[in-house]
Amino acid sequence: MNLHKIGVVISREYLTRVKKKSFLITTFVVPILFAALCILPAFLINNIKEKAQSVVVIDNSGIVLPYLEDSDAMDFTDCTGRDPEEVKQEVMDGKSDVMLLISAIDSTRSVSAQTFSRKPTGVDFSQNVSYKINRAVEDYRIKSYGIEGLETIMKDVKSNVSVKEFTLDDSGKATVSESGIYMILSMVLGMMIYMFIAMFGGSVMSSVIEEKSSRVVEVLVSSVKSLELMFGKIIGIALVALTQFALWILLTLVLVFGASTIFGLGDLLSSPEMTQMAQSGMSGVDMSSIQNSEMSVILTTLSNIPWGQLIVCFFVYFILGYLLYASMYAAIGSAVENEADAQQLQLPVTIPLMLAFFIVFFAMRNPESGIVWWGSMIPFTSPIVMLARIPYGVPGWEILVSVLVLLVTFIVMAWASAKIYKAGILMFGKKSTWSDLFKWLKQK
Amino acid sequence: MSIIQCKEICKSFGEKVALDHVSVEVPEGRIFGLLGPNGAGKTTLIRIINRITIPNGGDVLFKGRPITQQDVEKIGYMPEERGLYRKMKVGDQALYLAQLKGMSRQDAVAGLKDWFVRFGIQDWWNKKVEELSKGMAQKLQFITTVVHKPDLMILDEPFSGFDPVNAEVIRKEILRLRDEGATIILSTHNMESVEELCDDIALINKSRLVITGGVADIRRRYGNNNVEIEYTDADGRHTEVLPRETDGNNTLKSFIDKGVTVNSYKELMPRMNDIFIKLVTEGDGQNEPA
Repeated sequence: MNLHKIGVVISREYLTRVKKKSFLITTFVVPILFAALCILPAFLINNIKEKAQSVVVIDNSGIVLPYLEDSDAMDFTDCTGRDPEEVKQEVMDGKSDVMLLISAIDSTRSVSAQTFSRKPTGVDFSQNVSYKINRAVEDYRIKSYGIEGLETIMKDVKSNVSVKEFTLDDSGKATVSESGIYMILSMVLGMMIYMFIAMFGGSVMSSVIEEKSSRVVEVLVSSVKSLELMFGKIIGIALVALTQFALWILLTLVLVFGASTIFGLGDLLSSPEMTQMAQSGMSGVDMSSIQNSEMSVILTTLSNIPWGQLIVCFFVYFILGYLLYASMYAAIGSAVENEADAQQLQLPVTIPLMLAFFIVFFAMRNPESGIVWWGSMIPFTSPIVMLARIPYGVPGWEILVSVLVLLVTFIVMAWASAKIYKAGILMFGKKSTWSDLFKWLKQK
Repeated sequence: MSIIQCKEICKSFGEKVALDHVSVEVPEGRIFGLLGPNGAGKTTLIRIINRITIPNGGDVLFKGRPITQQDVEKIGYMPEERGLYRKMKVGDQALYLAQLKGMSRQDAVAGLKDWFVRFGIQDWWNKKVEELSKGMAQKLQFITTVVHKPDLMILDEPFSGFDPVNAEVIRKEILRLRDEGATIILSTHNMESVEELCDDIALINKSRLVITGGVADIRRRYGNNNVEIEYTDADGRHTEVLPRETDGNNTLKSFIDKGVTVNSYKELMPRMNDIFIKLVTEGDGQNEPA
């Protein structure tokens, strides 16, 4: 191997890609999307507070009004007794957002309710209001039984039970966890690594095809060994991928922090209320404290995820997974003269990749199932499946074994691919099949 | 001294025999033409010299010893199927190929600038290859083949794709490179350029070597041994073709004695084109005269 020449190949592969417009576009657009995904929900929550809907109520039943308490989202005004048409006109004029019209108690001892508004009120609104009205009607009906000491009884029977999840670590220490977070993280990681391997592996293949179809390859192999050419290409594109990651991470962080400062979200996140919310337990019964405790579980869960391990593993598995698939893609690319012919030939390579993608869905639901365990050990699926497992915690030895198996497989596959590549890149005119590829593999 | 010696090269692709015990010797500092009809095995032989194709038998020697990968990487090779990266800029492309031939970046820039000036194409440097016409791309390809000053250049069909003006430019450059000491192996169908350029040739037909040697020798060998004499008498100018005698003076004398004015006397050399057609249509060249 001539390191100088590999260097020349690597730098061409790297520079031509990094200088492309499409590289710049994906590099800058993706972080904007990421940042938007991070910021938008927080931004919305923050802003919804300020825009409470003003609701004018005409309560003909006389029982509902006491249950309509003002909240962050809703601001009730009693207009009982006024002409509904007149109030409706006020809604039309925009003086208030919604008119809530409650009928008198009917023969079934119930009420009916209608809302009138210029814009749809939203699911939250109608759920919230119907919950309140139902409570009013239920209480009214219970009261009608004339039970003594009702107030006390009602207070006494009220319950609020929710399931609190704990995970046990090796020492038996229990920590609060939220499986939803693991699920999302495991899904996102699995998808990301799948996407990157398919994207950059595919890029190796099209680059090999380009050299072959433009016939530049014959000049190249008279100057460098085919092995140097193949690995120069694979390494060059790997560096492009790493550059892209680094820029994505950097830009996303800059955007998230920048936007937080501009929109004042940073203050919100670090405000004492928030910290308190995060630390508070789950003793509260009212709505807001339930939200608080959810937030605290999310934060605890996030802080319990092995981030360091996750990041190291992400890079190790991405690099090895990419190398494995890139060398296979290079071998396939060498056997065809255009992308269309590659479609059928690459099926045996895309199938394990797709399979890994599906196993990620199993991993999300049940990270301990057999198929997931094997998927995280078998080298063709392990980069993707193992990443999906890691948020749930994976013993170190399993990762080690899985990485070693992957590494050995890569070495064997690289050797085989180099042989196929060497023979394949100079085959012109005839459509190659898998049996040709095996023939080239056996050639001296 | 031979720069390249091919000894008993055999190559077959499955059932099809591409080269059958072909031995060729390329003397150093000369232009060597590799001739043959389409499918004769010229490109296969070139690829074997370049170690792109591995022969089934035979040896390739470079300056008397077995050729190595390092030797091959120094050869300036222009394949028959030209190829450049379409999306790359002309300058980047040329620099890349020159660096792959082992030149440093500075040397490559300097060498390329020289060639670009020589061909008057300095303003192409930042153009994309896909914007070039076929002839322009050919010129670029030629430059990338020779910029690293190789001792040996192998040009497969160097004139295909060039208009007559540019073909002439390339022809002159090939001669200049030879005069500067380089050895050039070229394969071609263009027999006129063989007469003009080549010092030695090898003709391959149907996988076999038909003939090899100096161009002048071969032309003489395949001539009908005739001379052409042109003279003027009272009726005007005449041309006559006569069998050549051992001593040309006798022929001349007989004319002079007739009292005519001899304008010219020359040995009739067959054109390479005719020799080519003759040898190829004769089949495997079994009837080659001794």
